[in-house]
Amino acid sequence: MLCKLAWGNVRRAGRDYLVYLLTLTFAVIMFYAFNTISMQIDYAGIDNADMAEFLGGLIRGVTIFLAFVMGFLMVYANNFIMKRRKKEFGLYQVLGMGRGQVARIMALETLLVSATALVLGIVFGVALSQVMTFFTASLFKTQIANFRFFFSTSALLMTVACLAVIFLVTLVFNLRVVARAKIADLMGAGRVNEAIKVRNPWIAAILFVVGIALVGVAYARLLEDGLPLGGTTEQFNAFLITTGIVIAGTLLLFFGLSGFLLRILAFMRGLYWRGLNMFTLRQLAAKVNTVSLSMAVIAMILFLAITSVTGGMSIVNAMNTAAESSCPADFSMNAIYAGNRVVAADGTSETEWVQVTEPLDLMKNVRDESGASVDMSRIVGSSTQVNAYSSTPIGEDTPQVTLLDLLQAIGRDLPAGMEYADVVTQGIMLVRQSDFNAYLAFRGKDAIDLGEDGYLITSDMGTSVADIYRTTMGQGVPLTLNGNTLHPVTSNLAEERIAFSNAQVSNSGSIVVPDRVIDESQFPVETSYLLANYREGLSVEEGDKAVEDLSYSAEWTPREDGRYVAFMGLAATRTSIYESTNSMNGMVSYLAIYIGFVLVISCAAILTIQQLSGVSDASPSCRVLSELGTPRRQIMHSVLTQQTIFFLFPLIVGLAHSMIALRVVVRMVELLGGVSIGSIIGLAVLIFVLAYGGYFLVTYLMSKAIVRDAIRARRRM
Amino acid sequence: MPTSERPVLEVRHIEKVFGSRGNVVHALADVSFTIERGEFVAIMGPSGSGKSTLLNCISTIDSVTSGKVLVNGVDVAALRSEKLTRFRREQLGFIFQDSNLLDTLTARENIALPLTIARRPAREVLERVDAVAAHLSIAEALDRYPYQLSGGQQQRVAAARALVTNPAVIMADEPTGALDSKNARLLLESMETMNERDRATVLMVTHDSFAASYTSRVLFIRDGHLFTELRRGDAPRRAFFDRIMEVVAMMGGDNADAL
Repeated sequence: MLCKLAWGNVRRAGRDYLVYLLTLTFAVIMFYAFNTISMQIDYAGIDNADMAEFLGGLIRGVTIFLAFVMGFLMVYANNFIMKRRKKEFGLYQVLGMGRGQVARIMALETLLVSATALVLGIVFGVALSQVMTFFTASLFKTQIANFRFFFSTSALLMTVACLAVIFLVTLVFNLRVVARAKIADLMGAGRVNEAIKVRNPWIAAILFVVGIALVGVAYARLLEDGLPLGGTTEQFNAFLITTGIVIAGTLLLFFGLSGFLLRILAFMRGLYWRGLNMFTLRQLAAKVNTVSLSMAVIAMILFLAITSVTGGMSIVNAMNTAAESSCPADFSMNAIYAGNRVVAADGTSETEWVQVTEPLDLMKNVRDESGASVDMSRIVGSSTQVNAYSSTPIGEDTPQVTLLDLLQAIGRDLPAGMEYADVVTQGIMLVRQSDFNAYLAFRGKDAIDLGEDGYLITSDMGTSVADIYRTTMGQGVPLTLNGNTLHPVTSNLAEERIAFSNAQVSNSGSIVVPDRVIDESQFPVETSYLLANYREGLSVEEGDKAVEDLSYSAEWTPREDGRYVAFMGLAATRTSIYESTNSMNGMVSYLAIYIGFVLVISCAAILTIQQLSGVSDASPSCRVLSELGTPRRQIMHSVLTQQTIFFLFPLIVGLAHSMIALRVVVRMVELLGGVSIGSIIGLAVLIFVLAYGGYFLVTYLMSKAIVRDAIRARRRM
Repeated sequence: MPTSERPVLEVRHIEKVFGSRGNVVHALADVSFTIERGEFVAIMGPSGSGKSTLLNCISTIDSVTSGKVLVNGVDVAALRSEKLTRFRREQLGFIFQDSNLLDTLTARENIALPLTIARRPAREVLERVDAVAAHLSIAEALDRYPYQLSGGQQQRVAAARALVTNPAVIMADEPTGALDSKNARLLLESMETMNERDRATVLMVTHDSFAASYTSRVLFIRDGHLFTELRRGDAPRRAFFDRIMEVVAMMGGDNADAL
């Protein structure tokens, strides 16, 4: 009997439950599909068990978090359904049903909907996960060797567990509603005219303006300060204050929105007293009390979703392009020499260091695991070594050229995020023309000629820093090094990314100078870069395998006097760089889409349920309007306007916040490389827009049906 | 009272049948009457007598099975969707038992609504609202919201809303049903004012003999038939009330229902 009632209720309240069901189903689809990620990686033929496990674990963690978020959003949504059914629950009790039984009906209803969502969600989720495998393969840049159908029991269990969490959370809150309410209140719920607290539109309008101003201040602060990357407490505090301001501004903005609109339109009498405009506005104003907080929250969530997705993905994208353009050799390694500070340190280190002006020959200094020398000619075909010198002569403290000097010369400010870069604190490195030409030859490029007193600045930095170097050379800024005044030479290499090793950003800026400038000076070697291509007859796999066996001890053999010169820096094969950036790309993309999508549909679901319950609350008004002779088209137009504002405003505010935040993020990304909105980001945004727009469409169509029913229903006369 | 060239409302032999074969209910059977411009008419009858159905048929909310309803010579049954909506907006005004004001709008906005829907210029709308409100003595309540008004004020605002477009007929459905006697009297006086001062034609359905005594003519309806009709003539309201009570007693003797 209870089952029958519950089933009947779900069918009757189908309209309310439909949105609930839809959202829960989406959640199940996402939960299942994304939790099959480790299996997908396996099936996509990506041979990277560690990464699969890591990403799988990460997704599981995120899923649990999202399940809780969804749970609370669902409770919120469910409140609307419950509010409208109080009378029904009151009736059951009047007819002699115990509270326990009423609670059981509730539980059964929720269970019914959850179970339906589970079944539907798993079916679509299984289908989606098959399709996603191809997507995964392309994200990780591999091909699917042999595709076959797969089903993941662990993902299923995970999904069921999450759904159970959502179910329980919702149930507990629903039961509270039933348990707490008095029968009289329940029965009267439909009749009680909800007191409409109308805020003074003047105050509201002022709040709105203050909100806008606060948001503007926060924008200005963020653009000025950037992200707190310096790690200092003041920076972090300033960032927290900015965050606080933007939150307060957003809240006020939504709080005052309708009042502001009312005020503006009240001035335009012709517009206000026209058609249903005043009705539309008043409805908005009345709802804003209950809805402004959730609109603000939704705007912030949308902001988070948009920013994390586009920001995360564009950083990864930039790293990817950087990686591909900055892998000049099959294999690279570098040696880092003792710097000023290391040498000056007394007694703190057991090793004694010395600065040198003669670089080591790296090819001869490679050791195997046992510490024995390795004959690199077994592995390497062509190779070249670039030595970078510090512009701080041995025995001195200040570098002769730093980035700040260049900035001063061209009258610019330091780009955000560069405050602690080597080129600022330790000066810009110097490279001999002969080394550089050997490097160019290795890369199959033409040599350059600097003449007696020429210089050329190269780097593999992104646009913001590279532009400083280009401008310096373009303006013909002279540099003085060890008493020589050098002038820039024109070369199209200034436009190119010149990387000295297989790493992200290996050359934050280096000045190529005539050999004699370094020969005549006491500039110490700072870093030596070895770039090597595998010899002919050795495949990439074999080469990678061979260099994998090399040992990279932290310190290198001391000279005869027992003092150490250099230690081993980074060694990387091209393959490893590609692999790590690809999997990084894949992981970030997955997490971003996953989190973003679940957040977006949750927000949209809340808006939809809010709007639908609003429309059904307003259906008596719609009937009155119809009786007063308003064409249905005009009533629907009013409803559409209200809903558009409710859906569009949080989106606009969220987007505006994101644009500003992304500008800051983009400035960071530009240090790495150009920003390109890749196709994946486009796809993600498209999916979001479709989801959000889809909910909007559903809302409108369902509202239309509610209004039609309301108008058709005959008044009892 | 005025006698114009053609009646505002003509009801000709209307019939309304509910149900299908085998189980047919005649809600209205061959009802005919006319209402002249500027008349204030009440329709009385016990529950289930068909008076609500009659009002629904006249106000285009329901359709007749046979017969004709003419408002200003226009057959309402021939109107479809757009034209019907427009007809309702321009020719009819409604006052319901519960005032049916939109609770998010102020009284002024509620009264203005029928005019703004018809897209009249803002200046005209506001002037008209002020004029109507002054007639019905609710000028001081104009900027309040419905929940800030008493039941009687709400009903008078609703009356103002019905009057504001100068409709051919104002239909009032148990307008005093939810009011206490003092507020009921105030509303009825307002309706009298509307009728006398604004020359509004009012058709009121009521249970209440007291309410009916404010009108100039009462149509009694029972079991779907027009039972009889009383004209007030020049009689004072008190005397008219007594005559109405007599008919009510004669009709059913069931005063509990008629009151």
